[in-house]
Amino acid sequence: MSLLEVSGVKKTYKARRGGASVEALKNVNFTVEKGEYVAIMGESGSGKTTLLNILAALDKATAGTVILDGMNLTTIKDAAIAKFRRDNLGYVFQDFNLLDTFTLEDNIYLPLVLAGKRHSEMKERLDKLAPSLGITDLLKKYPYEVSGGQKQRAAIARALITNPKIVLALMVTHSTKAASHASRVMFIKDGIIFHQIYKGNSTDTQMYQKISDTLNLLAQGGDLK
Amino acid sequence: MKLGLYPKIAADGIRKNSRLYVPYIATCILMIAIFYIMHLLGFSDMLKNFEGASTAKDILQLGTIIMALFGTIFLFYTQSTLIKGRKKEFGLYNVLGMNRVNLGRILFFETALIWIISMTGGILAGIGLSKLAELGFTKMINSSVSYQFTVSTDSIATTVIVYSFIFLFIYLNALRQIWFTRTINLIHADKAGEKPPKANWVIGILGLIILLSGYTIALKIESPLSALAWFFIAVILIIVGTYLVLIAGSVLLCRILQKNKTYYYKTNHFVSVSSMAFRMKRNGAGLASICILLTMILVMISSTAALYFNREETLTTRYPKQINVTATNMGVLENSEEVISKMENAVSKCVKDFGAEITEDMSASYYGLSGYFDNNKTVDIDLDPYTTLSTTFDFDSVVQVYFFDVETYNRLNNKNETLSPGKILLSIDGNIQVDDEIIIGKKTFEVEKKVDYKDGKMKYAVGTSVVSTIVLIVDDLNEAVAAFSEYTDSRGEPMLVWKWTYDFDTNLDSKGQMELRGKIGSYIDDEPGVPDPVVYYSFSRDAERDDFVSTFGGLFFLGILLSIIFMVSCVLIIYYKQISEGFEDQSRFSIMQKVGMTKENIKKSINSQMLTVFFIPIIFACIHLATVLPIVHKLLLLFGHNNVPLLLITAGICVLICGLFYALTYKLTSNAYYKIVS
Ligand SMILES: Nc1ncnc2c1ncn2[C@@H]1O[C@H](COP(=O)(O)OP(=O)(O)O)[C@@H](O)[C@H]1O
Ligand SMILES: [Mg+2]
Repeated sequence: MSLLEVSGVKKTYKARRGGASVEALKNVNFTVEKGEYVAIMGESGSGKTTLLNILAALDKATAGTVILDGMNLTTIKDAAIAKFRRDNLGYVFQDFNLLDTFTLEDNIYLPLVLAGKRHSEMKERLDKLAPSLGITDLLKKYPYEVSGGQKQRAAIARALITNPKIVLALMVTHSTKAASHASRVMFIKDGIIFHQIYKGNSTDTQMYQKISDTLNLLAQGGDLK
Repeated sequence: MKLGLYPKIAADGIRKNSRLYVPYIATCILMIAIFYIMHLLGFSDMLKNFEGASTAKDILQLGTIIMALFGTIFLFYTQSTLIKGRKKEFGLYNVLGMNRVNLGRILFFETALIWIISMTGGILAGIGLSKLAELGFTKMINSSVSYQFTVSTDSIATTVIVYSFIFLFIYLNALRQIWFTRTINLIHADKAGEKPPKANWVIGILGLIILLSGYTIALKIESPLSALAWFFIAVILIIVGTYLVLIAGSVLLCRILQKNKTYYYKTNHFVSVSSMAFRMKRNGAGLASICILLTMILVMISSTAALYFNREETLTTRYPKQINVTATNMGVLENSEEVISKMENAVSKCVKDFGAEITEDMSASYYGLSGYFDNNKTVDIDLDPYTTLSTTFDFDSVVQVYFFDVETYNRLNNKNETLSPGKILLSIDGNIQVDDEIIIGKKTFEVEKKVDYKDGKMKYAVGTSVVSTIVLIVDDLNEAVAAFSEYTDSRGEPMLVWKWTYDFDTNLDSKGQMELRGKIGSYIDDEPGVPDPVVYYSFSRDAERDDFVSTFGGLFFLGILLSIIFMVSCVLIIYYKQISEGFEDQSRFSIMQKVGMTKENIKKSINSQMLTVFFIPIIFACIHLATVLPIVHKLLLLFGHNNVPLLLITAGICVLICGLFYALTYKLTSNAYYKIVS
């Protein structure tokens, strides 16, 4: 059994008034194994945010199923979602969603506080995490006092501190190089995922080249098969 | 930029932020209405023709000034919150090419627009409410004293002037905030939390000192006359002190709670404490505003209720018997047994002719004068105390001196005292220390013994006094006061006043008593040998009762009316606090939900936030009430009210009702908050 199984996911945004409804995801199928680092790439409007929101159970799919570690997210009860999310998911939002009422430290603690953890345990976990993200000196600062990149690192720390089963991260990056660190890269266009599996056997530069080529192809309206 | 564009942008700004501006403007309107009504009552001729009217007016005049002060502080803080929310918008305008002068103009038109709406609405609401009050008065109180709430141009003008200044002040404050903030900080203003004041402990200690000196003054005041002058100072100190203490206290509380890791990092406390810290100063100011309004309500209702429910006792203290005849001299400086017995004759003849009989009576004659007590056994009567008071404010040493003869004392109080030659019996009510002699003017009286004039009917003759009272019981009344006859007050009237009071019951019914009362005058007029300078009045207790009911009923009604308005503004303040914070917290709670917060958590953290601050205003209001009650008691003495237990009971009941109402408001508005954030 895979860690994450996505099959037949569809998402249609209903039109508000008058306008046409948008089919953001048409038919998405893929699986992710434990320990995998998967990148999903696509131009803006292709459906990345929609997909991640569904994976994080922040939004419901119109059709299809999402199964995370045996738990069916499409049928999960509203009341259980918050706890499920807290215990299993780490989510790094595109705009970070740090709370301006909290210092970075308290922002990172938030999911643990919600889970009722003791302060000593929270501190222990953060002490391990902070150096690797290079935010040790920033912990007492408020979000409006730090840069976008620093905020992003705090947001990553918040996603990791619960030791989640899966981390979903939406990041703006204009370099395809970042994605080339992934063990697998998928492309999304017009609500359909194109599996382009790059195994770790190709060199970094080879992988980087392939990703760039694919992105160019997609940008010109070409299809992958 | 074209000038015509500014009002449009300003109006748009208000419309777009109407969720916050509507309750803000509503509060402004109410504040202005309260000010107008208080001014109308305090400064117009509407409250008159009743005993204590001038006191009620004095208090309302102070109330007017207090309302202006309170309105300034309150609107200042509320508007600071509004501006904070708008800074981002102004920052964007700034980025898009408007300079600070342009922004200042937009701000100006915004303030002006709110000023116009609030002014018009406030004065109309004030007039409407006062008309409603008039209706209430005439409906509720079936009285001979009529209350007519006229529309006063004076009050309108004062309201407009005072509130225009307040708005100008508020505008300048907003301008300052926009003007001296860098563009980048404008844009991020809504993200930055409030910084703790640099010297928080200085503010806290200063506030505590101010508050405590207000309390001390309130508790120190001895006589109700001085109460009026110092009351005001005490109230101002208490208001200012409350704001400083609660602001510093709120900052301190947040810091302490955040430092206590085990408390802070609990699911229920984490969010509530951090959002309290985010707006710690504003929180303190809001709590202080609520506290002050609650205090005013408590004081007003408990005092007027005590007056109203004690009216019968006040009436019987003033008129111990069915009918009272009082005579006083105008230049006749002699306690003439002959004149007194002639007047008594005239009265009994009148009663007999009426076909009735006197069942019980009580008669007393005495002299009175007022002076300064110099704290060293001497009463100075060279000065006219009441005219010099306005410059010295030394109310506490004003004393009222009475002279009775020992025969009258024995008769009224059922005693059997005798005096050694040249000695007197002394009775003092008030905070004055006299040992074995007392000097009045230049005359020395040796004290034989101290007695209590209040342990018998003599208290009716002396009456409830607002200043300290000294009663000298002498052997020969005329001889005792002879030396004081030449003293005159500032109008040239003699200081020494002779009085005769005659109280009696009859076998008549209420209607008969009133008719009889009307006849007494002509009998005394016709009695030969009653000298012309003697002026006399006659009263019927049942006739006076109406006056008492309408006076105290009127004041009680006024207290209720003002309290309702205050309560509404209190509700508005709480509502405003909750929804403005709700809109600020909306996005935060949505983020927290994404991170795993449940609706249950939200509810719990709101409750926790509520409980942390809920009791503070009501506790402070109770402390305030407890410290001003002594003054209130003394002020009530001016109305002839002297019933401390009743005052305590009404105060207790008021605290209960007010507390319940406050709790209900808090509950309902926190539901509004919950709806917004979830
Ligand atoms: N709440 C929404 N209502 C209607 N349409 C939406 C909504 N959110 C996203 N969309 C549409 O769905 C499509 C996918 O959007 P999104 O998932 O945000 O793309 P991406 O994150 O890849 O840029 C877009 O066409 C967008 O306009
Ligand atoms: Mg997106």
